[in-house]
Amino acid sequence: MSLTPSQLTALRSLLDRIIPADDFPGALAAGTDTYVLRHLLGDGSLGTNVLLLGFSQLDAESVARHGPHQTFATLLPTQQDALLADLAAARPMTPWPPPLAAAPWFHRLVELAHEGFYADPANGGNRDAASWGMLGYAPRTTPERAAP
Amino acid sequence: MTSDHDVIIVGAGLAGGILAGVLAEGGRRVLLLERGRSLAYSEIPGDHLRNHRLTLYGDHTTPDPAGHPRVFIDGAGVPHTVLPHDARYQLNAFTVGGGARVWGMQAWRFHPDDFRMATRYGVADGSSLADWPIGYADLAPFYERAEHEIGVAGDHAGTTHAPRARDFPLPPVPRSPSAEWLARGADHLGWRTFTPPLAVNTRPYLGRGACIQCAQCIGFACPTDAKNGSHNTLLPRALASGRCTLVTRAHASRVLTDGSGQAIGVEYFAPTTTDSATLERRTARARTIIVSSGAIESARLLLLSASPLQPHGLGNHSDHLGRHVQGHAYPIAYGLLPPDVESSLLGPGVSVATTQFNHGNPGIIGGAMLANDFVKLPLIFWRQSLPPDTPRWGLANKRAMRDLFRRGIDVRGPVQEIPSPDSRVTLDPAVRDTFGLPVARLSGTTHPETVRTAEFMRARAEEWLRASGAERVWSWPAEKKFSAGQHQAGTCRMSADPRDGVTDPFGRVHGHDHLFVCDGSLHVTNGGFNPALTIMALAFRTAEHLLASP
Repeated sequence: MSLTPSQLTALRSLLDRIIPADDFPGALAAGTDTYVLRHLLGDGSLGTNVLLLGFSQLDAESVARHGPHQTFATLLPTQQDALLADLAAARPMTPWPPPLAAAPWFHRLVELAHEGFYADPANGGNRDAASWGMLGYAPRTTPERAAP
Repeated sequence: MTSDHDVIIVGAGLAGGILAGVLAEGGRRVLLLERGRSLAYSEIPGDHLRNHRLTLYGDHTTPDPAGHPRVFIDGAGVPHTVLPHDARYQLNAFTVGGGARVWGMQAWRFHPDDFRMATRYGVADGSSLADWPIGYADLAPFYERAEHEIGVAGDHAGTTHAPRARDFPLPPVPRSPSAEWLARGADHLGWRTFTPPLAVNTRPYLGRGACIQCAQCIGFACPTDAKNGSHNTLLPRALASGRCTLVTRAHASRVLTDGSGQAIGVEYFAPTTTDSATLERRTARARTIIVSSGAIESARLLLLSASPLQPHGLGNHSDHLGRHVQGHAYPIAYGLLPPDVESSLLGPGVSVATTQFNHGNPGIIGGAMLANDFVKLPLIFWRQSLPPDTPRWGLANKRAMRDLFRRGIDVRGPVQEIPSPDSRVTLDPAVRDTFGLPVARLSGTTHPETVRTAEFMRARAEEWLRASGAERVWSWPAEKKFSAGQHQAGTCRMSADPRDGVTDPFGRVHGHDHLFVCDGSLHVTNGGFNPALTIMALAFRTAEHLLASP
């Protein structure tokens, strides 16, 4: 399994809206796309294969709203957010191929993005503990002497 | 018949390790079987997606998870085959030390009235509420022993719900500023609070170091080995005696009985050599057999051990085996600290509690202890603790995380459940484990009185946060559900009369001279407290009883 270049572009644009950059790093700067990709591609189950189709569908939704060639990545952030709000509210403008459905697909990607972004850096989506730095969190498990 | 062992213990969890320690030091030759492995700290990594508070994709303690499914029957009667990381599985850690390897360490004595619930409250329709055949006074010396030999930190003068003869061996955990804030809020309400007992080294004790208050506590192994259980106390003592043989990756498949129905040994699968992937079938014989595998697997093993004389399972003479499954309903109220009160992000975190509502609530059966929660992981906060109207994505969500992560607080408590005979463990007729044995089938749901008590306690938890000055308070209603989880109990209830339970008041299976159960399975009711110290006290008591027996 792999993503097409356009699916990958859509994935990154999506993550940039789910956890945008502001004064602190967002999903892309933290490498959360790497975590999500590893999750989607590493698990060959039907569930994750189906999720990949959603990135093409995201572009189809964009074209349906904004015209030919207007893929999701080309939209303004406000347009992207409005489209995602439609998906979250189960108001797609295109038919999603079963068992894929707009709202559950989007909610799953929201979950995956935040899992990667807020989990420990070893899981691959929280590079340099970027999100933990924003929150002031650190495990602080380094002991004065090693446990057995 | 000769045998290499006097006692076989199935399960090296919290109770099994204590049994092994007391019995081996008392001169008995012990064979301790454990399905999991003995894990080093480095083998239980700080994985925020796979730990015992958030098993999104598994955990690092369960051996061969795919080989050991269970079947969960949902509210519509539909069976689901579930794996360990699924909440419906009711997982506890399968490793040497059991759940205590990764626990939150709350080490509560039950309230004296927790042992006489039926007498105090009557028996609600449809419930199997009953008194224990023993009382608080029977367990008190063993609670005390567990506090000292396992290591519990607490506030002796403040812990008044149950009579205490002796101080804790360790000073109480430090209070965080937010816990002090909660304590002041309780004062406004006239509620008495104190620092709850935790099995943690607040200073060096029993040869191990002190807690460093790290922020990755419950659900994880301890970096300084300050998290106390039997794995770092009684089990090492057992092994040091030279009389305890611990076999890990050993899966008990059957308690063996003789022609008269008496237990004589255990059949199990174990590696051919220590590190081999190949398992072989073995049998071991001993005079005394103790099943200590947790409420679900202990019941399953006795069911799997059916014999011609006991075709429905050992100890199932009166149809109690596997029934009355209990855990704890856990109402939680969430809130936001005022900006001038900062949560410290210091572990363990639980440092203020009240037992004001464990009993004596008008029109309510039982109640619960309430306490603040453990130090939280960012991802768990994102999943559970943001105000309900917070957008789930985008800049608004990110800002809310930034603004509120250090201001989130919650109050929660384990509600004493009203047992139902229909909440039960049976053997699944279709699904088998990796050894071809029927897996545990979990069915039934919460008794309505448990939901009523949980709703009462949810209101008290909200009241506490409001009185403390929380800026916002919210919570979610209690629901009926199959309840077992890490606090699983009740499936082999003890009783004075064989007609009323599975074991006698010492855990000896009725009708058997040398077969015992020792874990939360014995609990007739599960208290309005975390149950681990009661499990430990029962283990000390059963072990001493065995040493005193001819």
